[in-house]
Amino acid sequence: MTPTKAPVQSPFSAEQEKTLLAWTKEYPYTNLGLIEALRSVQDWHRQVEPAAAARVAEIFGLPFNHVWGVVTFFPTFTQWRTGAQRVGVCHGLSCFLAGSNKAEKCLEKTLGVPKKRATADGKFSWEAMECLGACEQAPALQVNERLIGKATEESISQLKDMKR
Amino acid sequence: MTKILTKYFDAEPKLHELETYRKLGGYEALKRALGMERSAVLEEVKKSNLRGLGGAGFPTGLKWSTVPPEDKVPGPRYVVVNADESEPGCFKDRILLTRAPHQLIEGLLIASYVIGSKDSFIFIRGEYQNQHDILGKAIAEAEQAGLIGNNILGSGFNCRILLMRGAGAYISGLDTALLETMEGKKAWPRQPPPFPTVSGLMGRPTVVNNVETLSMLPFIVNEGGAAFAKIGVPRSGGTIVFSISGHVEKPGLYEFPMGVKLRDALAACGGVKGGRKLKGVIPGGTSMPPLMEKDLDLALDFDSVRAAGTFLGAGGMIVLDETADAVEVAHNIERFLTHESCGQCTPCREGSNWSERILERLLEGKGQPQDVVNLARVGENITGKVICALGDTIGMVLKGYIDRYPDDFKKRVTPHG
Repeated sequence: MTPTKAPVQSPFSAEQEKTLLAWTKEYPYTNLGLIEALRSVQDWHRQVEPAAAARVAEIFGLPFNHVWGVVTFFPTFTQWRTGAQRVGVCHGLSCFLAGSNKAEKCLEKTLGVPKKRATADGKFSWEAMECLGACEQAPALQVNERLIGKATEESISQLKDMKR
Repeated sequence: MTKILTKYFDAEPKLHELETYRKLGGYEALKRALGMERSAVLEEVKKSNLRGLGGAGFPTGLKWSTVPPEDKVPGPRYVVVNADESEPGCFKDRILLTRAPHQLIEGLLIASYVIGSKDSFIFIRGEYQNQHDILGKAIAEAEQAGLIGNNILGSGFNCRILLMRGAGAYISGLDTALLETMEGKKAWPRQPPPFPTVSGLMGRPTVVNNVETLSMLPFIVNEGGAAFAKIGVPRSGGTIVFSISGHVEKPGLYEFPMGVKLRDALAACGGVKGGRKLKGVIPGGTSMPPLMEKDLDLALDFDSVRAAGTFLGAGGMIVLDETADAVEVAHNIERFLTHESCGQCTPCREGSNWSERILERLLEGKGQPQDVVNLARVGENITGKVICALGDTIGMVLKGYIDRYPDDFKKRVTPHG
């Protein structure tokens, strides 16, 4: 008798499974939905773990190593758990000229954690990011891919009051 | 001064809404194009001398005409909008998408009609979440009005527009890497030929055009290619939208006719900040050497800027004043390129890292005379030996800053390390 594979416990809820399946059907070819599907996973889990990537690979009918290669290639996908508010401060040239180094120090002080580590309550993490395309508002700041604009001591201190 | 894309930006705060856009004549060009032969629309685009405004400056009409006709290569073909603007210094697409999403959608539909694309895509960088929302809303509005979907404006032409987001990689903005990303792969650039117009998305003929390029099409169809060509310079028609930032009084978006003088562009944004002395102007985004004070009377168009030893790129202008340090600037750019190197070609993967480390050493005051020589040598061994322009950039930027600001580099060197 052929041994049957034990069913893999999905790291996703039934609703989330539905969303991932919908991404396989959104575009004219299945694989075109992979990046969007992984974006959903990052959004739910605040990271993409190997088990989640494995389930996504199953859903898309792709080898695990293909999906894991994609996950580890793109900066949006993390292998560490980001805060619910993922703060990014731009350190592209215009922002650097406008003092992004200072903004980074200010973020570290305000949030009390080094970059790429979430606060104890899981609410915040921060990173230096490559050009956010907001050079006229240098140094630029974003939270969960939404532009806040000029990073000043004031705008950084207001971050703590933000709700997701 | 003549403006095309930003003409109504000051007067019409609700330009992003379909009602306002139509009130100002929006979607009339689409109607007109759908009533024309596809070849006639293509002819106008060729006549306009429109060139790709995403950085490469390739003639748009010529690009389109390399798509094989349906009777030779039957089956689907695609138009993809490159809205993955990630070049440091560029933010024009972000503002064009925020303020005038319908201008892009109309242009995209015109292009899709000419190419014969029934599924067209807008690939937008994930960090433009607000613009993704605005586009989604604009697409829904246009669908409701019968401008997207089946039998558009009763013409029998069908076209869907699909939105897709990237995941934070700069290299996805390069056309072939963008297609790889869309296909759910690592964003490794392809080595052409074949070019995407022959074998693009899933091996199908695909036209990849930038947001700004496609947004020009409604004007070209309405006013005619000749009228567009007349605005610019002989080999490059129309206007260009510059994102200006860095050490200037009024950073922001400025639209000029192609061939505007650098001096006039600087004057429009209030000149160098605090009246300080100009050190250089990066004309198109950080991937290219800066222009110098002697270039102030240079005409800013693809060919003139190229003749001056740099590139117009995507118009991401960064102004550097005398307080900027060339080693710090070069280090910032090389750090970016190291982070964004996709790792496919060895010279770029290793060389970007190597040059960043040498620059770091210079910044720490541990530089030796040989370091500057090595820096240029590392660059020379990358440029021209890799698949894509990112690698070529590394050497160009290093040589650009070393040649233009030798004193800044000398200052960082101590004779015995």
